[in-house]
Amino acid sequence: MTTGTIANEIVKSVRERKEFSLLAVIRNEYFLYLVSSVLFVLIWHWAAAEQVLGKSLATPYAVAKELARLMTIKLAGLTLLGHIWASTQRILIGFVLASVVAVPLGLFMALNRTVNAIVKPVFDLFKPMPPIAWISIAILWFGIGEASKVFIIVIGTFVPCLLNAYNGIRLIEPELYDVVRSLGGNRKDEILQVSFPAAFPAIFAGLQISLSIAWTCVLAAELVSARSGLGWIIVQGMKLTKPELVIGGMLIIALVAWLTTLAVSGLERLLCPWKRHIEGL
Amino acid sequence: MGAPRPAEGWGAPQTADNLPGGLSGTPEAARSRTTAAGTRVRMTQVEGKRALMDNDTSKPPKIACEKICKTFIQKGTQQVHVLEDISLEVFDNEFLVILGPGQSGKSTLLRIIAGLETPSTGRAILDGREVSGPGPDRGLVFQSYMLFAWRTVLGNVEMGPKLQGVGKKERREIAQHYIDLVGLKGFEKHYPHQLSGGMKQRVGIARAYANNPQVMLLDEPFGQLDAQTRLFMEKETERIWQAEKRTVIFVTNNIDEAIILGDRIVTMVGKLPGRMGPAYPVDLERPREPTDMRFLKLRYAITEASELVL
Ligand SMILES: Nc1ncnc2c1ncn2[C@@H]1O[C@H](COP(=O)(O)OP(=O)(O)OP(=O)(O)O)[C@@H](O)[C@H]1O
Ligand SMILES: [Mg+2]
Repeated sequence: MTTGTIANEIVKSVRERKEFSLLAVIRNEYFLYLVSSVLFVLIWHWAAAEQVLGKSLATPYAVAKELARLMTIKLAGLTLLGHIWASTQRILIGFVLASVVAVPLGLFMALNRTVNAIVKPVFDLFKPMPPIAWISIAILWFGIGEASKVFIIVIGTFVPCLLNAYNGIRLIEPELYDVVRSLGGNRKDEILQVSFPAAFPAIFAGLQISLSIAWTCVLAAELVSARSGLGWIIVQGMKLTKPELVIGGMLIIALVAWLTTLAVSGLERLLCPWKRHIEGL
Repeated sequence: MGAPRPAEGWGAPQTADNLPGGLSGTPEAARSRTTAAGTRVRMTQVEGKRALMDNDTSKPPKIACEKICKTFIQKGTQQVHVLEDISLEVFDNEFLVILGPGQSGKSTLLRIIAGLETPSTGRAILDGREVSGPGPDRGLVFQSYMLFAWRTVLGNVEMGPKLQGVGKKERREIAQHYIDLVGLKGFEKHYPHQLSGGMKQRVGIARAYANNPQVMLLDEPFGQLDAQTRLFMEKETERIWQAEKRTVIFVTNNIDEAIILGDRIVTMVGKLPGRMGPAYPVDLERPREPTDMRFLKLRYAITEASELVL
């Protein structure tokens, strides 16, 4: 145990030596992670092998084998990696296009009444529309190529990006602006020193939400019409009655979506080192 | 007689004089003011015994509030009358404590002096000029810290000089000086969420000081601290104030804090609107001991009078 004084307030730091015991192992979270994962796979395997859901549930092994096969064999001219990239590319383009416009627009709406008054009525009209509702009109306008898919993603991610940037500024404690003014700052200082940095976490929350919406959008678009992408793989599995292909596609989507989320939180940690990070679900 | 007490209009606390160890006689020159409502408010002002204090009442006041009233208008028609006829004077290098219960408009008064709020009638005067807005000549310390969460301790403290356009190297030096002064050496790179409440308020104080203001305005700065840390921070405030003399207006609802720190205590009374209560000079040498008989006597006098008024 070490004792030191920090700013004359006594600070004690205690390092406990954990004793090894069975109870400690059982209650260790990583141990529990492992147990629950293994249990899940076992139940899955049992359900598939016993055909609890008929023939349409593949065993974990069959799914793994199918995914390994897809790594080498080309489906519609692309390996699995090619299909993953096809979906990811659509998401990145749509997501970047939307956030580059929506985040600054949300910030300006929150900071400027005039901008708000001009944009708000139009935004309020589009806000409640589910992005999937745009698929048909997107295909009518842009055909079944890349443009219509990117368009859906832009539509879907625009709203949460804008909304979170806007709320991020609106929720700032007004006394923080008083601090800047009493230190001799002007309106420009208030915006640069308080509004923007304080809104950062909310902006990132918006980006995270947008990202998961982007995955929903791209899958929906690919399910309707596509020749590549993870959504298309799932549709192929359905058409060929290959449950291992459908489930494999779903697992890959979860994996890639999780990785993109990690990338965004990594960026947030880099840009907001001051934020107390919590382990969310 | 001669214990610090409100002028007769407020009903002098008799019992205070029966306590042993009475305060040495303090000649009080009481000036009377008439409020809009017609009630007489008597202000006590200390003369003599100046050796104990560094402030100088012969010069014009550093800050003066002249018959300030404040009414907030909420959502169109609803009015909240918060301050009624507040007049007070603060002298150069004086440590003035405004003591009052919650909701008596203390923060509002301080914000008016800071220039963040405009009085409905009356005016606040700084160095003979009417206050028309906030400025770096007044450093504000907030009840709820109000640190920039995205800036380190150093980044917070150097904000004032930065906004004044002071160069990077120089403002680092200024900030470091005040970080050392408040006892946060070694914590320059910490973010606010990594600090305890007392440490956060040290940052708040250093940040206000770093702008080199002529007047420090502190709004219940230790209200969120536990009793022990609070007492410690009061001692620290006294030390910092003695190291770097400034005119200070310190708002609190804690009598002990008021007596430990103040050269003079002005009370505010009432539930909306807040009015001026009696004022008390504190002729006790520093550092003050809460167990000192004269301390207790003054404490008794203030408690007694506030009970009469509330
Ligand atoms: N901007 C405002 N609009 C409307 N009412 C306000 C505003 N600011 C303060 N008030 C009201 O003024 C009253 C006094 O507030 P103030 O914060 O000045 O009191 P206080 O003495 O500092 O209280 P406390 O000790 O609890 O901090 C409160 O009832 C509050 O509701
Ligand atoms: Mg207050």
